[in-house]
Amino acid sequence: MNTFLAIVKTLSVGALTALQVSVGAFLIAALCGLALALARTFIHHRLVQASIAAYSEWMRNVPALAHLFVLYFGLASAGIRLSPVTAACVGLGLVGAAVLCDIFTAGLRSLHTGQREAALAIGLTPAQVLRCVLLPQMLRVTLPSLGNYGSQLVKDTSIASAIAVPEIMFYARNLVTSTFETTLIYLAAMALYAAIVLPITWGFANVERRLGVGR
Amino acid sequence: MIEFLAIYADYWVDWSGRLRSAALVTAALSLAGFVLAALLGSLLTWAQRSAHRGLPHAAGVYVQFIRSVPLLALLLAIYFVLPQAGVTLSGFWAGVLGLGLQGSAYVAEILRGGLGSVHKGQREAGLAVGMTPWQVFVNVSAPQALRVMLPPLLNAYVSLLKDSSLCALIATDELMLTARAISSESFLPLHIFLLVGVFYFAIAFPLSMLSRWLEARLARGRRVMGAAT
Repeated sequence: MNTFLAIVKTLSVGALTALQVSVGAFLIAALCGLALALARTFIHHRLVQASIAAYSEWMRNVPALAHLFVLYFGLASAGIRLSPVTAACVGLGLVGAAVLCDIFTAGLRSLHTGQREAALAIGLTPAQVLRCVLLPQMLRVTLPSLGNYGSQLVKDTSIASAIAVPEIMFYARNLVTSTFETTLIYLAAMALYAAIVLPITWGFANVERRLGVGR
Repeated sequence: MIEFLAIYADYWVDWSGRLRSAALVTAALSLAGFVLAALLGSLLTWAQRSAHRGLPHAAGVYVQFIRSVPLLALLLAIYFVLPQAGVTLSGFWAGVLGLGLQGSAYVAEILRGGLGSVHKGQREAGLAVGMTPWQVFVNVSAPQALRVMLPPLLNAYVSLLKDSSLCALIATDELMLTARAISSESFLPLHIFLLVGVFYFAIAFPLSMLSRWLEARLARGRRVMGAAT
């Protein structure tokens, strides 16, 4: 039991990094995803639509590991050196942007066009319409998908160990080579992930209930 | 740009053969993983729907566990922990097992949704005309559920295909590990990792399109909330 606790203690240093990467990637994904979704919904230029589609398909049909390797090893060979954590945040964030773009687009489409027309009619500026009328409603609709994405993202940070981000799996693999407590270490790693992911799942479910999503 | 592409022309003879055979390993890995996921997923769905008291609960715990643990942890545990229990799997089969276990939770979710989408009256009508429960399942419920499940199942396969890239970290000679090997020989990581992305894209994109096309076809004639803008 003491060994197990010692292992958990070491791994939780990695858990902090995993959380940092998750938050960083989530912010990038949310901002870029929202911008893309707005462009997709309101800019009806063919070139804009085509480039968003191309971006989204490329990001969603290629493994995240390949994106991370391109950003970390690929860009370094072209003279742009990103730190492992930066590369992980940017890589997972850019993949997430494509995922959230789809989620936000669906959310925006689910709103009735009358909402926008009515808001414009009572004299709100387009920016106000977006901020005060469309986005809050969209957020409510997309909350379940955002929760799924968030917990998936935390799990996906484990991939960042492949580009030497010192997160949970990175520490786990290092510990295994130094202590050979293989079973305990991987059990502890899984328990740590579950300890992060489950509260996120439950938290989102709770907020959804309060906001009455799916009424 | 031209210079960048010229490198591909120079190395194409060397790279294409290796990447193509690695792509076959990736295809075999993901297909075997998906078959296992489908089998385990069906078993899970059966357990979730069973009348026995403990089974649905156990299935629920399993799904929750799989959904809160990253695939990489699962793969490393299978590859490194099972040998201590006397079960040594090669990287490939450890990969198949990991992908299958992880995929089964998602497949079970899809099956549950698909079977739930078939109206209860269909089953009752089948039983009323004298079919056995098994006949009803095979001839009435399953075909209708399959129509609904096909697009999400294709998406699940695409996810599994992408996830199979993680098997590179447990020494399976699939696309990603081959790309890493080539990159450390040629010192052209940007070229090789973009190219390996194109390989994955070439398999995944047509399937994603097919899934979307099927979904649109199946939605035809059915009124879907929010589909009209």
